[in-house]
Amino acid sequence: MKRLTLLLTLILGAYLIWSVEDLPEWGDPTSPASTYLSPHYIENIVEETSVPNLVTAILADYRGYDTMFETVVVFCAGLTVLTILRRTERKNKKVSTPRPQREGSDIILQNTARLLIPPMQLFALYVIAHGHHSPGGGFQGGVILGASFILLALSYDLKKTLKRFKESSMLFYSGLGVLIYAGIGVVCLLLGKNFLAYAAWSNFLGITELEAHSHGMLGVEIGVAITVMAIMFSLYADLASGGDLDEGL
Amino acid sequence: MIAAQTPILILLAPLFSGILITIFAQKSKNVAFFLLILGMVGSFSAACNVLLQVLQGSGPIHYRLGDWPPPFGIELVIDHLSGMVLFMVSGAALLTAIYSKHTVEVEIPDRIHHYYTLYTLLVSGLLGMVATGDVFNLYVLLEISALSSYALLARGRGLAYIATFKYIIIGTIGASFYLLGVGYLYIKTGTLNMADLSTMLATPEMHQSPSIKIGFIFIILGIWIKMAFFPLQGWLPNAYSCASTTTSCLIAPLMTKVSVYIMIRLMFSVFSADYIFKTLQWQQFMVWMACIAIVVGSVSALAQRNLKRMLCYIVVAEVGYMVGGVWLANSNGFSGAVYHIMSDVMMTLCLFMAVGAVIYKTGETSLEAMRGIFRRMPITAAAFLVGGFSIIGIPPTCGFFSKWYLITGAIETGQFHFVIALLFSSLINAILFFRIIEIGFFSPFDENGHGTHQVIVVNEAPAMMLVPMVISAASLIIIGLYTRFLMSNIVQWTIPVGL
Repeated sequence: MKRLTLLLTLILGAYLIWSVEDLPEWGDPTSPASTYLSPHYIENIVEETSVPNLVTAILADYRGYDTMFETVVVFCAGLTVLTILRRTERKNKKVSTPRPQREGSDIILQNTARLLIPPMQLFALYVIAHGHHSPGGGFQGGVILGASFILLALSYDLKKTLKRFKESSMLFYSGLGVLIYAGIGVVCLLLGKNFLAYAAWSNFLGITELEAHSHGMLGVEIGVAITVMAIMFSLYADLASGGDLDEGL
Repeated sequence: MIAAQTPILILLAPLFSGILITIFAQKSKNVAFFLLILGMVGSFSAACNVLLQVLQGSGPIHYRLGDWPPPFGIELVIDHLSGMVLFMVSGAALLTAIYSKHTVEVEIPDRIHHYYTLYTLLVSGLLGMVATGDVFNLYVLLEISALSSYALLARGRGLAYIATFKYIIIGTIGASFYLLGVGYLYIKTGTLNMADLSTMLATPEMHQSPSIKIGFIFIILGIWIKMAFFPLQGWLPNAYSCASTTTSCLIAPLMTKVSVYIMIRLMFSVFSADYIFKTLQWQQFMVWMACIAIVVGSVSALAQRNLKRMLCYIVVAEVGYMVGGVWLANSNGFSGAVYHIMSDVMMTLCLFMAVGAVIYKTGETSLEAMRGIFRRMPITAAAFLVGGFSIIGIPPTCGFFSKWYLITGAIETGQFHFVIALLFSSLINAILFFRIIEIGFFSPFDENGHGTHQVIVVNEAPAMMLVPMVISAASLIIIGLYTRFLMSNIVQWTIPVGL
């Protein structure tokens, strides 16, 4: 059976390699992918959305519906890990595998963390807010924010960090982020446009429709960042403590 | 204004109820249940509205997300086929939500709100996959429905974790195959919109291109893994039979049927009947595979002593019916397959609900749980019977009519092995269900009773479980009686060009 699988894999692999011939050259400017939709985006994106960062504009506006569900994927992944790992009253009877216990505290580590965490969080906010103009955005900024909490948990301990960022608030924030994203879309719907058509906000905020696109994108990026931050830390807390949320690495 | 927005409301209702459950219902399970029902009712009523619009209107409904025109933005497209599937999926999800009240409290006593959130996310993922008109958006929603189904299935009994782990690995491979296939199509065409793709793929040079063929193979393989089509069905029986009652009631009828829908959608709305049946010409091979799927599923079902596992293998066989019907490459076979999607959602839902109620009351999962069922739980037993008759294909239940169309289609194309496989499967199903009926009627209730003098107390499941069960059983007969109406108003419109 194993040999048969190997043979099949080899044949299919050879076929795949042979068919590369049919694909456009690497980086070919005349390939369909770079001649069909891309010129429209490159030429019109600033007039249509007033956002110079093409990636952000496509991600958060043209295909904002996909990104909303990507945020839901992150949210769902966090919930899945929590559902599977987190200890419950019923699971409590089972013996857990012993984990290394932390002994004492490290003053160098803790003070470095104290120095590092505030700039990290500020930088994260910058990355989130500046996603329209430079590389960045909600996912990246959210990961940096989440990492700052993980650093706190690594250098002090999980319990202390969880006192500041409780499990219930992790869940609250992970839901809140998705709610902000979808809520911005629904307000567009209530203001008489289609779902996620940010232009609908223009009258409400007293700005032009172009600015409304830009502001709408900022809003959804903030939503994405909140969810990603909460889920990042929740994943760490669950995985590091095996679902107990007591002690961890 | 609201009428124009209903397509998106179908998805937003469950999504919002899921988020609100996480935020507000951490303490109270009644609030969580209320929000769940609210979301499902909203989704179902929006789906009804959209289906009516499609039936009255002249063409498919296009909904532009963010007001961007299609190749640049994403659109939802709802035609007769997707409108019908949206209606069935949201309806089945609503029925299961009502049914879940008691079973969830027993089987998943802690963290019910997380369970319900995942439930709503799964439903919005499935609905989104059906409604979308964009191949990449379909992948994103596939991820959501897959992730939430992993979590739901893992909260089961016994070996649920191991079975789910296998499903995660196989399911992820399936999803990545799909994504790779979409990548191939994108390289060759530069677009992700389904309607746009289909016009671009219609040229003769695209028909001959090996990359397009590879793209098609990757996509279709990925979907076959998701729908558990033979020989990729290995993960399904374990994962579904270890799951809790509510989970299997939700996932077993919907996941496979939505995958069949996606297969039809991609075969005929992205590629074309011309490409698949004239350029590729797989139909002979595929119908043979479907025959094997039907026979393997049916025979394995016969070998099971566990009620749920038996139903899981029936699901595997039913997937064979639909895939075979689609690949018969004629209009009767196709109508049979589409009609079978509709009836199979309700058949499997009805059977899983009835079996779930028996397990809820007796705590047993083997066939022996059915002893004395007709006296102890008469309504559940009646629903089970109707579901069983429909699976066997006894008129006037809808199972008869879908088999009728499939067999007519098979005879028209001269694929008599498919006819034989269908009849064989009916025969096996008859043995299966009459064996259970025999246990239910004639098996002595316990050793002391000698079968005649014991007093059997009626011990029926609670009303919250009975009502959805009876509705699903009744719908089997209603769908069967209105076959002509459904065929001429819905199914006929779904037949693609070139069949």
